[in-house]
Amino acid sequence: MYITTLEDNKKIWEKVLSDVEMSVSKANFNTWFKDTDIIKYENGTIYLSVPNEFVKNWLSEKYHKFILKSLRGIQENIRNVDYIVVSGAKKKELSMLKQSMSINNELPLNDFYINKDDNLNPKYIFDSFVVGTFNELAHAASQAIIKKQGIVYNPLFVYGNTGYGKTHLIQAIGNHLKTSDDKKVFYVTSEKFSVDCVNSIQQNKLNQFKEKYRKYDVLIMDDIQFISNKERSQEELFHLFNTLYDGNKQIIFSSDKHPSYIPGLADRLKSRFSQGMIVDVQAPDAESRMEILRNKSKMNNFYLAEDIINFIAISVQGNIRDLEGILNSVICQTQLKGRDLNMSEIKNLLKNNVKPKKNVSVKEVVKIIASFYNLEETTIYEKTRRKEVVKPRQVIMYILRKDFNVSYPSIGEKLGGRDHTTVIHSCKKIEDELKDNNLLEQELEQIRSMF
Amino acid sequence: MKLECSKEKLVRAISKAEKITGKNLSLPVLSCVLLDANNGNLKISSTNLDLGIEINVPARVDEEGITAVSGSVLGSLLSSDFKSEKIKLETKNENLNVLSDSYSTIIKSQNSEDFPTIPRLKKDKVINIESKKLVKGLKSVWYSSSTSNIKPELSSILICSESNTIVFVATDSFRLAEMKIDFNLEDFEQILIPFKNIPEILRVFDDVDGDIKMYITENQIAFEYENIYLTSRVIDGIFPDYKQLLPKEFKTEITVLKEDLVNVLKVSNIFSDKFNKVSFSISPKDKKFEIRAVNSDVGENVNRVDAVLKGDDIEINFNQKYIMDCFQSITTDSLVLKFNGLNKPMVIKSVPDTQFTYLVMPMNK
Repeated sequence: MYITTLEDNKKIWEKVLSDVEMSVSKANFNTWFKDTDIIKYENGTIYLSVPNEFVKNWLSEKYHKFILKSLRGIQENIRNVDYIVVSGAKKKELSMLKQSMSINNELPLNDFYINKDDNLNPKYIFDSFVVGTFNELAHAASQAIIKKQGIVYNPLFVYGNTGYGKTHLIQAIGNHLKTSDDKKVFYVTSEKFSVDCVNSIQQNKLNQFKEKYRKYDVLIMDDIQFISNKERSQEELFHLFNTLYDGNKQIIFSSDKHPSYIPGLADRLKSRFSQGMIVDVQAPDAESRMEILRNKSKMNNFYLAEDIINFIAISVQGNIRDLEGILNSVICQTQLKGRDLNMSEIKNLLKNNVKPKKNVSVKEVVKIIASFYNLEETTIYEKTRRKEVVKPRQVIMYILRKDFNVSYPSIGEKLGGRDHTTVIHSCKKIEDELKDNNLLEQELEQIRSMF
Repeated sequence: MKLECSKEKLVRAISKAEKITGKNLSLPVLSCVLLDANNGNLKISSTNLDLGIEINVPARVDEEGITAVSGSVLGSLLSSDFKSEKIKLETKNENLNVLSDSYSTIIKSQNSEDFPTIPRLKKDKVINIESKKLVKGLKSVWYSSSTSNIKPELSSILICSESNTIVFVATDSFRLAEMKIDFNLEDFEQILIPFKNIPEILRVFDDVDGDIKMYITENQIAFEYENIYLTSRVIDGIFPDYKQLLPKEFKTEITVLKEDLVNVLKVSNIFSDKFNKVSFSISPKDKKFEIRAVNSDVGENVNRVDAVLKGDDIEINFNQKYIMDCFQSITTDSLVLKFNGLNKPMVIKSVPDTQFTYLVMPMNK
């Protein structure tokens, strides 16, 4: 495949135009060749943009051979010319949009930002996607899909907590496939899907519903966990899944949990979700948070000093949405004050925005974890070595040490007067087990989410 | 080319086609109508590169051929001929001879080679619609479109389907008109027709009674009725989400006779200022609805309108012209004006049949 650059295209077309101008009347030239341009050159075919259907007809009937000949004179390997109607309005510059002030109020007509045909938000693209250790795997999987969609990793299942960039990632896949591969992409939330499903059942239009979803090359379903307990929608999704899967169409899901942990989800769906690739997106680390901040501020055409980025990234531990919120308030304050904020002002801002790190007492930790494992709180403090008590106790020690930074001796003392070496041993044991026990990791994640 | 055909049919066809010829265009042949005689049929085409039309007229063709002549010349000639019943057309030395029982005319013709072809659309998406409904729908809303070219989707008319109705919408962001007409059809995607083309479409199909076929493609829409084929460019854009603007609840509601309101607004127009400002003063408590217009150069006029009022009191200003515009679309005797307080649009609805909805933004003080 040979693709010329935009500038080359422009030069080629200028040459063709000057050829044409010599051999047709001025009136004809102005009428038919105004507002034409080369859009792209692919596989030996030149794609010309024309302002309307009349011009398309006319050029392809009357001037086709001439244009082709002239193009071949410049580049021999051009085989064909195709004409595409592009409305002139699209090309108009936005600067013209500044309307004169009017005494009348205007209706607040909002433009649809989201493309209605596929529900994709053009904002979400890979260029603005920050890759770090926390989402490396998910990003790699999505790149693999782009290269070979429908074959490797089908379906792709992305899960992770809210605000970690799942939607951004899956929409970016959609936008990429739509623009560079011309695939029919459709993005839908599972909630919208089930509303659609219920409506079509009510209106007896189930067949249309089925048809609608089956025509796409790539189906992206966001927040799949909301489909739980909706049996009819699950059934439709199941059939839809099978059809698309058999047709080698790419399917992408996102959820806040691993499919096995989504309650009220039919087993046959669970197993289907797991048959492709399941990747998780974790909380961004500090470096990634800095990168995200840089990226976002660049998108807003806003300059943030490095030390401020550093400070925000370290103090805001939460998800990307929180980061965005802070950045927005910084930008807003800056515009309000008309100057850059200094560090103390930033600190002041953050004070209001950051959730204070919770102070949890040891007793409370014990209570929560004991109840997670269905144990009496008191058994933890006892000197029993029953298997069902030992593990939770070790987990408690591990969490206290890792998440709350309690010292080994004081953990031992508070958990029924144990020696600090016991505590060290327990933490080490859990750590070792974490390396090859996924189940334990899931458990810890759930426990941590309870604080 | 040599043929004979009925004058009446020819006049009707030429007058429809002649309006669509291009004016002030660099290509002179666009101001012509193309006459193409073959196989017992005279095909008349014209285009301004935005709209294109083809009309077939039955004719006795003695000799096939194509020619292009000025549309306005041929149109004016034929429309001022009240006597003849049959017309003969014949090409001779680059000219067109128009012959009747009583006169003979020579019209200079132009090179028909340069005449563009009218795009024929794929017929995979067809909608059948009664001509009366199409005309009514377009007529009821098209005046609300924006005349500026800045936002092409606002200077076009939206046609879409919604649960067994066909919906026509136009707005220029100061007011919005929506007409819903009952219509059993399969859902289709929204169409945006440039409002500039609407008067011509209306003119062509105004006197037609029957089903019109609409063909829709990505860039072009076509209407076909018996021997008429009309095609227009469509706008490639997305109409603003206007539904969210239609309020569901109102603080003030008044019902008036259309005639009363029209008469009062006509009087107010005499006294309104250069912004056409009229002030509504509504007080359900005092059972009062007054319309007031003030112009420091002319004078002042206050008019009381009989109305059924309910809800909160309100004082609000409007551009009189915007309100007057919508009356042409309201066929019922009475209408309801609904308000939601200052800076919120007024909604005008026809009653009892509620096909038509009109939104007007108030003026700033």
